[in-house]
Amino acid sequence: MKKLFFALLFCTGSMLSMAGEGPVASNAWVREAPPGASMMAAYLVIENPGDTDVTLVDIESPAFAHVMLHRSVTVDGVARMQHQDAIPIPAHGSLVLEPGGYHLMMPAPDTRLVAGDNVEFILIFADDTRLQVTAEVRKKP
Amino acid sequence: MLLARIIPLLLATVLLGACSPPEPPQLQLATLLPSAKPVADFNLVNHREEVFTLGSLKGHWTFAFFGYTHCPDVCPTSLAMLAQVMDRLREIRPAATLPQGLFVSVDPQRDTPETLAGYVPYFDPDFTGVTGDAGQIKTLTRQLGILYLKSDGENAADYLIDHSAAIILFDPQGRFHALFNVPHDADKIASDFLLIRDYYEATR
Repeated sequence: MKKLFFALLFCTGSMLSMAGEGPVASNAWVREAPPGASMMAAYLVIENPGDTDVTLVDIESPAFAHVMLHRSVTVDGVARMQHQDAIPIPAHGSLVLEPGGYHLMMPAPDTRLVAGDNVEFILIFADDTRLQVTAEVRKKP
Repeated sequence: MLLARIIPLLLATVLLGACSPPEPPQLQLATLLPSAKPVADFNLVNHREEVFTLGSLKGHWTFAFFGYTHCPDVCPTSLAMLAQVMDRLREIRPAATLPQGLFVSVDPQRDTPETLAGYVPYFDPDFTGVTGDAGQIKTLTRQLGILYLKSDGENAADYLIDHSAAIILFDPQGRFHALFNVPHDADKIASDFLLIRDYYEATR
């Protein structure tokens, strides 16, 4: 009986750890845009607890016509946005998307999103892993 | 006891202050121009469809940020930060006149006064948005060292613009007085501004 219990415990434990090895998203939010603004931005943190590197290659959302992966960089006082085809996240590392840095850029939908609304994003990785994340619309971080 | 040691020090400071010009302020973020730079006139339009010229910069301090409304990250972040500066100033000196908050579009092709009327007051109802003829925008920006350049977008209508992220401070004579480079911090900008304004008033 005791043997079986430990065997079960071991199985459950290893299953959990396997399930826990994929990338994990947290603190996802969309910046509420002023009325009439054409573009919006979203931010989140993606952690990669696994032993292998992963690469974020695409993002989809039912709330937006398309989602682009961008990075704002400021060089010599000049801010510019760079399109990113893919962003690697090293094993046991994380990727922070935050104002003034990496972010998602989306065209504003016809119906204005306001603080308190929730939208879904699907993060797509190079190995075809898909991670769904809910982002809250907020006025500030 | 401590007070007894501090009072003579304070008195000495006050007396010294009375007979020698005050020292330039120690600033955390701002770069003060060695001498404020007069600005040549320009002719733009604000989000209320009123004429906006050099005269509109006179009689009060002005914080100006240069960007475009199709910009979803840096521009809203900077304008929200500037709104926080105003809130800090309202807290610290409720009775004092607030500086004007200005958003100057470097994308007059897409940013009409109507676009700005929806966009700019969203961050602070007292902010003013300004756009106009591309040549007139250049007349203003080139006097301030503000740079901007169109860069690629997904298609011709979707272009992005690389632009200077600095915030410019104009004094009540409409002169280019100081600038705040990135990274911006609302508390530091508010406290630097108060030091700059006090020094300006003490040395006029």
